[in-house]
Amino acid sequence: MLVSFNWLKDYLGDTKLTAAQAADLLGQHAFEIEGVVAKGEDFVIDVDVLPNRSSDSLCHRGIAREIASIVDKPLATDPLTNSPELTETDLIEIDIKEEEACPRFTASLLTDVTVKESPAWLKNRLETIGQKSINNIVDATNYVMFALGQPLHAYDADLFPQVAGKWRFCVRYAKEGETVELIAEGGKNEARVVELTGSELLIVDQSSNRPISLAGVKGGSFAGVHLGTKKVIIEAAHFDPVITRRTARRLGIVIDASKRFENEPSRELPPFAQFEIIKLIKDIAGGNNEGTVDKYLKAAQQPEVTVSTDQVNNLLGITISGEEMKKILEQVGCTVKLEDKTLVAKGPWERTDLKIAEDFIEEIGRIYGYEHIKSVLPEKISLNEINKKHYYSEKIRHVLLSLGFSEVITSSFRKKDEIQLLNALASDKSYLRSNLKQNILEALDKNAPHTDLLGADDTRIFEIGTVFQKDKDNYITEHTTLSLGVRIKSSGYSGKEDGVVKTVLEKVAEELQTTIDWDLEKGVAEVNLSELLEKLPEPTSYEAFTAASTISYKPFSMYPSMSRDIALWVSENTKADMVEKVLTEAAGDLLVRTRLFDEFSKEGKLSLAFRMVFQSPEKTLTDEEVNGFMEKVYTAVAKEGWEVR
Amino acid sequence: MIAEINSIFSELGFVFAEGPEAETEYYNFDRLNVPKDHPARDMQDTFWFKDKDVKEPMVLRTHTSPVQARYMDAHKPPIRVIVPGKVFRNEATDATHEAQFFQLEGLCVDEKVHLGHLKGTIEYFFSKFFSGEVEIRFRPGFFPFVEPGVEVDMMLKNSDSKLANRWIEIMGAGMVHPNVLKESGIDPEKYSGFAFGVGIDRLAVMKYGIDDVRDLYTGDLRFVNQF
Repeated sequence: MLVSFNWLKDYLGDTKLTAAQAADLLGQHAFEIEGVVAKGEDFVIDVDVLPNRSSDSLCHRGIAREIASIVDKPLATDPLTNSPELTETDLIEIDIKEEEACPRFTASLLTDVTVKESPAWLKNRLETIGQKSINNIVDATNYVMFALGQPLHAYDADLFPQVAGKWRFCVRYAKEGETVELIAEGGKNEARVVELTGSELLIVDQSSNRPISLAGVKGGSFAGVHLGTKKVIIEAAHFDPVITRRTARRLGIVIDASKRFENEPSRELPPFAQFEIIKLIKDIAGGNNEGTVDKYLKAAQQPEVTVSTDQVNNLLGITISGEEMKKILEQVGCTVKLEDKTLVAKGPWERTDLKIAEDFIEEIGRIYGYEHIKSVLPEKISLNEINKKHYYSEKIRHVLLSLGFSEVITSSFRKKDEIQLLNALASDKSYLRSNLKQNILEALDKNAPHTDLLGADDTRIFEIGTVFQKDKDNYITEHTTLSLGVRIKSSGYSGKEDGVVKTVLEKVAEELQTTIDWDLEKGVAEVNLSELLEKLPEPTSYEAFTAASTISYKPFSMYPSMSRDIALWVSENTKADMVEKVLTEAAGDLLVRTRLFDEFSKEGKLSLAFRMVFQSPEKTLTDEEVNGFMEKVYTAVAKEGWEVR
Repeated sequence: MIAEINSIFSELGFVFAEGPEAETEYYNFDRLNVPKDHPARDMQDTFWFKDKDVKEPMVLRTHTSPVQARYMDAHKPPIRVIVPGKVFRNEATDATHEAQFFQLEGLCVDEKVHLGHLKGTIEYFFSKFFSGEVEIRFRPGFFPFVEPGVEVDMMLKNSDSKLANRWIEIMGAGMVHPNVLKESGIDPEKYSGFAFGVGIDRLAVMKYGIDDVRDLYTGDLRFVNQF
């Protein structure tokens, strides 16, 4: 959520904190901070409020309260301190049919208002946190939501039919096949008509029994506020978070209001929001407050939780006194009784997340400061189980790596296979692999052209991984397989590879002291490792791990490489690495690899043959360019008096 | 790399455990204190299997955490396990996100396990893994299956690595939620535990300085042969 620092200061009062300091404190003690940026005279802090605090902290007052708790200084202005005094009215009636789903519904009536542009300060506040200004009434509902966390909705009372001089709301479940017309979505002009299944909670105009809003999810286009509106009804209610979430997910609606209702803000909040918005509307749109109806059918009790001071210290790994714990909890607004070594704590009414002992322990830990927790290494205990699959996979890896294989990890998704996912990422990734060999074959096709670049005679790769198939009842089953493949020629499978693969598999079998069944095709074999493991003995300890040298990865060029061979006659006492050095220096920066591939002596002379591989990180090299590099090599060779064969 | 990780944790008695990649909704979510229709489910975009292919609702596991519950169902404390494995998220891929990646889960349950043990264990692992002095910092975090939950930052000290001397966000962790212990028949009054989860790819990226995590899964030897 984007937070305006100036807005926070409305509640914090005189604070010495800078926006950056406030953000840092929040990051260390409360929330994740995505960033702080200056915007005009203000700073915007991007606060990632996680699900457990979305009930009370998706608003400026909540974030300001958090800063106040951390610095242990009460808020200068707290709109949630005093119970709001609201005038009652009998001009609005509310009929709640489902008290579990809608335990509270409030509505206020204001007459003689003037709908117009919002004042600059309000437009500026909303703009700072990325909200568009619409008109003073709609802006007021948004402002109060971002201030207190309570979503509100405004209706034009003149467009809302009355029954016997009264406006009548009803809250009930939808009937199957009923429809509701929702406010046009951002960027669209047409209202969206949604057909209902019966599981949705609705707000209904009782005069016509017509659905006017998807409760908690989205307001309807019914009785919308416009520039000529004179009378407004403001609604602020509490809806069941699960019902709200189900409907919102089904319809793909995630808006600021639905997100707040899903996270169960306190049932105590609506009258506070009414109080604030009445004050604000009178201020920016004039008019008279005719009063509020507050239908509160079912209050929620804040639980009183017992926590022992030992439990707090034992879980956090600290040693602080009960008095200190009590003080911290009071700092965040809890009411606390401390008797001997027992704390009985109750969260402030807006904190619906504080339910169990561990929740209060977390409050103590984060405000006290996690930096005070000292590292303790758990006492070493002996390993009582050896993972068979890991043990044998390591053995296999070891054999294959020693035979010049590279291990690859390929995608679990395929374009077409046995099992299709319900919700795939893309059409070419919608199935799960039923084997590895297909992936290995594709990896060989991709890698064989780089054989020279990598300085190898052929390409050898393997993978150990999970594959997904259907069992005899057509249900999903998974197992681990090993697949390995060899490619000799960059042009494709030559027929000689199968022999190499067989020899390699026999070596693996020998190392594991067993026999292996494989399935071999086009130089790629696949072995069911899960099955193979069943016949191998349980290992009793891991073999010592030898750490690889410290290596760092270099980005590789995406452009093709070009190779040239050069064979030279040199005197018999000339060292090959000295020759290689001369060639390398002459060839220039785009030479990426040089490999001696042939060496023999004849008549007192030594023949050396090198393959030189060129590649550019920026483009595909042309023959002419590579010939140019080779010309320089030939010149250097001639200078040394070596003869090109 | 998994062998190296296992080798470090096995010194402390952490057992290498594993579980299925095609996981039930029950183990992937419900048993980890993530009920249906709870906003916490939004934290992980999930791949689902089709109804006709499964006996009960199943997903490609979104984390290695279900193995915590599976292991605790089958074992009594003291428990120390690590779970390296592939996990899946239905998210668009870019240079720092892959729809499939490797995660390492850690779990330690015993009498009187506390947050200090978590800090000590993580510090021990990272100092060995990055061969150097490492400092660990906790910040508040939220994961439904732990309470308190923390985000873990690390700082590599006295090193000439380009990652040295600054805080790097590295993993999520916390004290196992009492509901998760209870569901496995472990008494939360008597036992407590810590759990952590870290992206192995992230560790590789940091250890070897890789630019694009997607390179890890292309099977391209220009990349693989550097290790």
